[in-house]
Amino acid sequence: MATGDSGGVLWERLVSLRTSPAALVPVSGCWVRAITNHTVAVIARTFFWGSEASGGSIGAVALNPLNNLDPGLALVIFGAGVTAGALGVALGLGGGIFLVPFLTLALGFPLKSAAAISLSTVIATSSAVSARRAGNQLINLRLGMVLEVATTAGSLLGGITAQFVAETTLQRLFGIVATIVAFVMIGRINRRNVIVDPAADPGRLGGRFHEGESGGVVTYRIRRLPLALAASFIAGNVSSLLGIGGGIIKVPVLNAWCGMPLRAAAATSALMIGVTATGGAVIYYGHGDLRPLLAAPAVLGVQLGSWGGSRFAETASVKWLKLLMAALLMIVAVLMFVRSAR
Amino acid sequence: MNRLELAIGAVLRFGSVASTSLLAIGLLMTLTGYRAGLARMLLEAGLVILISTPAARVVVSVIEYVRERDWTFVALTLVVLAALAGSVAAAYL
Repeated sequence: MATGDSGGVLWERLVSLRTSPAALVPVSGCWVRAITNHTVAVIARTFFWGSEASGGSIGAVALNPLNNLDPGLALVIFGAGVTAGALGVALGLGGGIFLVPFLTLALGFPLKSAAAISLSTVIATSSAVSARRAGNQLINLRLGMVLEVATTAGSLLGGITAQFVAETTLQRLFGIVATIVAFVMIGRINRRNVIVDPAADPGRLGGRFHEGESGGVVTYRIRRLPLALAASFIAGNVSSLLGIGGGIIKVPVLNAWCGMPLRAAAATSALMIGVTATGGAVIYYGHGDLRPLLAAPAVLGVQLGSWGGSRFAETASVKWLKLLMAALLMIVAVLMFVRSAR
Repeated sequence: MNRLELAIGAVLRFGSVASTSLLAIGLLMTLTGYRAGLARMLLEAGLVILISTPAARVVVSVIEYVRERDWTFVALTLVVLAALAGSVAAAYL
């Protein structure tokens, strides 16, 4: 790692865990101290990594010693998962856009490993959320199947290229995508659902669902299918490369240009990202970049976070949340650019 | 309500519950140091089930479209499966 030893040291220790998971067992049993060490190290890395001397050494001191910090790491990853999952639900995104920068910038994971972990959380969220929604006709299965052809092709290509692309290129790409997402978020800050004429013929790929708020039936037609396919291909590609679901690219396009109501677009996208992420995750798994021991706390955290977040999603002020997240994403983008330049 | 949607819901629910439970048990066992070898197997199994759940959902869709004799969608879902098979090939070849 370019930013000091701590990330590299931590990473090498984690790699050794694959061969001996028993290394996770606390030797002295002092979990509290392990967790404290970790928290200090994470804060240090996040805020001081810019200066090699202070950030590097603080991180190294706190992260280096003993086996007993590993339960702490599991807890930190779990906590990051909960936060990312809750934010994701509140904003209608997967948590990946928050989880990946945390794992790379704060914990010093290589972007490939962070992306692999994040993809497994994307699959978990997709399956859990879609299982809950199946049957209420919000998910447009036929359109989903058509667009999945494009997303899986994109994710296959992205997963292969990820093996050859340099870390700095991935960081820059993440910076660019985070910037775009931030602007999309600001641009859609006051956007509401499109209401479509209920008498319209949905056509072959359109759909019809019961709108909970108004009590009416919403019918929509799909326009500009090639555009939706192109957006899906790009979403699949970016998904594999960066470990995000790709809903952030598809949903605005489907909603703004293809005539799909926001809730239906989000539900259909949520179903699709499972298959998309699988295309990428399989490749990372086969190459040994997806480590079960690190993915497990992240997956469990995101599941818990998205389950809890969906309970609070309605009460939160989405407008301010969006602004806050846009600001956060801009910071992430800057950090990624700075790091890729070092 | 259509059969396909229910079948897909069932597959996703099973995969989601099974993988989450396996990962949770495996992680707890690893952290407490109880039977590390078994814990590793459970984690690995949980992850494999997690990753294959969406693929299983596509397989169920193919079967259901064949039953409905909707050949366009049989072809489309088979292409998706082929792309996933391509990912598996890219992972291990």
